[in-house]
Amino acid sequence: MSELAIEIKDLRVDYGDFVAVKDVSLSIPYGVVYGLVGPNGAGKTSTFKVLTTLIEPTYGEVQVAGFDIFEKAGAAREVMGYMPDLAPVPSDLKLWEFLDFHADTHRLGGRRARRERVEECLATVNLSGKRDAWCKELSRGQTQRLVLAKTLLHRPKVLILDEPASGLDPLSRRELRFALQTLAKEGATVIVSSHILSELAEMCSSLCVMNQGELLASGTVDEVRKALGRAERKLTAVTYGDPAKVASWLGIQGGVGEVKVDGNRVSFHFVGEDEAQESLIRGLVNEGLLIRSFEEGSSSFEDILVQVAEGNRES
Amino acid sequence: MSGGQRETVKRSYVPFWMIWANPIVRRYARSRLRPTGFGVSLLLVVLISGFVFFVSREGSGRVMASPEDVARVALFPLLMIQGIILFGLGTGQVAGAMTGEADEGVLDYQRLAPMSPLAKVLGYLFGLPIREWVLFAATMPFTIISLLEGEVPLQYALQLYAVFVVAAVLYHLTGLLTGTVMKNRRWAFLGSMGLVLLLYTIIPQAAKFGLVYFKYLTIYPVVEEVMPHFTPQRLGQLVDAYQMMVPPAKFFGLDLPQYVVTLVSQAVLSFAMIVMLWRHWRKAESHLLGKLGAVGLFAWLQIVLLGNALPLIDGGDIFPSRELRRRFGRILNPQSEFWKPEIEEAVMMVGLFGVVTMGVMWWMTLIISPSRDTQIRGWRRARKFGGSKLPILSDAATSFPWVLVMAGIGVTGWYLFAQAILDSRWYPGQELSIIALPAMAMIALTGGWALQALLETRGRKAAGLALIFVGVIPVMLAIIMGVSGGLVSPAVWMAGICPVSWPVYGAGLFIPDSGMPRDVARALPNAFWFWQGVALLVTGWLLVKLRESRLKISRESMD
Repeated sequence: MSELAIEIKDLRVDYGDFVAVKDVSLSIPYGVVYGLVGPNGAGKTSTFKVLTTLIEPTYGEVQVAGFDIFEKAGAAREVMGYMPDLAPVPSDLKLWEFLDFHADTHRLGGRRARRERVEECLATVNLSGKRDAWCKELSRGQTQRLVLAKTLLHRPKVLILDEPASGLDPLSRRELRFALQTLAKEGATVIVSSHILSELAEMCSSLCVMNQGELLASGTVDEVRKALGRAERKLTAVTYGDPAKVASWLGIQGGVGEVKVDGNRVSFHFVGEDEAQESLIRGLVNEGLLIRSFEEGSSSFEDILVQVAEGNRES
Repeated sequence: MSGGQRETVKRSYVPFWMIWANPIVRRYARSRLRPTGFGVSLLLVVLISGFVFFVSREGSGRVMASPEDVARVALFPLLMIQGIILFGLGTGQVAGAMTGEADEGVLDYQRLAPMSPLAKVLGYLFGLPIREWVLFAATMPFTIISLLEGEVPLQYALQLYAVFVVAAVLYHLTGLLTGTVMKNRRWAFLGSMGLVLLLYTIIPQAAKFGLVYFKYLTIYPVVEEVMPHFTPQRLGQLVDAYQMMVPPAKFFGLDLPQYVVTLVSQAVLSFAMIVMLWRHWRKAESHLLGKLGAVGLFAWLQIVLLGNALPLIDGGDIFPSRELRRRFGRILNPQSEFWKPEIEEAVMMVGLFGVVTMGVMWWMTLIISPSRDTQIRGWRRARKFGGSKLPILSDAATSFPWVLVMAGIGVTGWYLFAQAILDSRWYPGQELSIIALPAMAMIALTGGWALQALLETRGRKAAGLALIFVGVIPVMLAIIMGVSGGLVSPAVWMAGICPVSWPVYGAGLFIPDSGMPRDVARALPNAFWFWQGVALLVTGWLLVKLRESRLKISRESMD
């Protein structure tokens, strides 16, 4: 068995003259919840579509659970589950029939074995009470849960979920997050894309940021923030001296942005490497500005992505 | 919430031929055979079939002495009901449901299902119209009783119903193909209905004008063949007498029963459609046919067109006037015993053969010509792997040489057909003009390459616009001029713009003494050569543009 759940090398997807994904390489191990983040048009959905064998890339090598998706598409499909954004469900089937059909395509045993698995998955997504309802009668959130159940049916090793939390209420979102993390603990790899970025940061053990078809950074949330480099840090100096003096000293230092004073707290934005930040703190102390404590309120991951998206628009 | 333990499960998949175990078939069996919806349809069909069965028997019982005759009366009305169910409702259901699923995005799930592409094709083919198949089966007890009591020989019943079932599958495949390929739901439904009507109702009319093959796409030849055994004996004798005059199906030197030729013709076309669907399910972006497949299908159609038509020439059975005289001659002119085809018929048949040849070539060109997107992707892929040219059989490769090959095959078939007609005993002293072969080649190449270059440089929308402005509007204007009187020559010139008219104009030119009205005869050669000259220039310009476009794409792919 391959050690990597997903291995992508030099992936490129073109739509005519438009380059949707440009020479992206990515390795994702087993047992993680991995986020794919980026503004609209970043190439996330195209990457998902290639991974799920829905489209053929211009070129590139892609392996899912050790199967080359071009050579062994059938085998790759057996070990993956895909939940598209706004997944459609057939209007002429009941919930259990919909799941039973997909269980049948995956040949999950005889009728009894299939029924058992269907009931299990319905219970997993808290839809057991609706097993005999028509798919068309479900709310959007319930539909998302049903499709998630369908995706889990064959116990895939790799789950690819496009905006899985959209339409879910807060409780269901929390349950989803718990479910995905449980799946990852059991050894599955879950790849998620979402526009609810803060939630993605909480959910994912690692992620990658895409922009204009290119992979900007990948790793843990902290690693990605560092890799992007241009993220501002929110720093706060608490003084028992004169906050105005602290603010005016900070205002003339390099890398320091807007400075705000709130009582004895002086907050400011700082752009720079860790060494530069340490040097700034030493400077404050050496100037005798009576600093009681120094706090780093890391800028949210969402801020980083907003910067990426804005950079995208400016370019 | 838990997804359960990860495990490597080795699952065995049902072979594609086990239709009853196909998950897609079972899914539609579940949804389309629910007692609530299906029950009403079943009741209606049984009621109507039973009504027809009993009314036919009771009504004819008073006038027919033989119980066999009485039993046979219901057979054809029942066959009509079965045709409405399977051909009409079934095809509509397949096309409509397929486009609906594609429109809702449900098909993407199916693309991901770990089933072979062939299993998916067969699943939809037999799953979507499963209700219609069951309704058809519900009418069969009445048919079987009628067949048994009517003492219809088993072989004829089997022949008819084998062809009936194969034809239904062919029609359903047509609906499935258009439903799968066309993206817009409304257009897909209309398109599939139009295609079914065109392929199996309108085009078979060409059989009356020498293209005998097309009648084998319907069940009519077999219905005619078995009719004496399915009708009351007195009527059967009359039909039988008529059948004595109808020639058997011929394929070059072979005399074959109608049902064999019908089955083979429909099976080959079904196979071609299954290949197209299989390719689509295997890879959504791929062309419906590969280069070799398209040329192979084109060659096969030429062979069957010739194989069915050539043996009928010397007997005269290929000529439409012979058929007309056979059916209505005694009524129209009881004194006339002598029949001879007019030269206009030869012109019309040769022209139509050319039109059909061009039509099939355009269809194949449309399938195998790569869009700009496909070319860009192909070139980038080739560059990535260090290639300096595209594999000639790949979808991204130009269809230029393959249009040349098809033009060669088409011109050969067309020329053989024209020569066989003129060399027959019906037209002594007539010879095909020396310009026939080069003119045929010019028509085929300009028409083929112009479309191919247009598709590869400007895309399908531009080709569609060209179709409207070059193919439709001039013909409409010509018709208006023609019917207004006194504008025959301008009408001939105007219609000559349309590439579909070229083979017909050509036929008028190749065949000396073609018997055309004076105005037409005077305008036609000039119009033909003028528009051929224009077509040659336009095609040349389009080919230059094509070369420039391909070079540009090739260069840009190195970035």
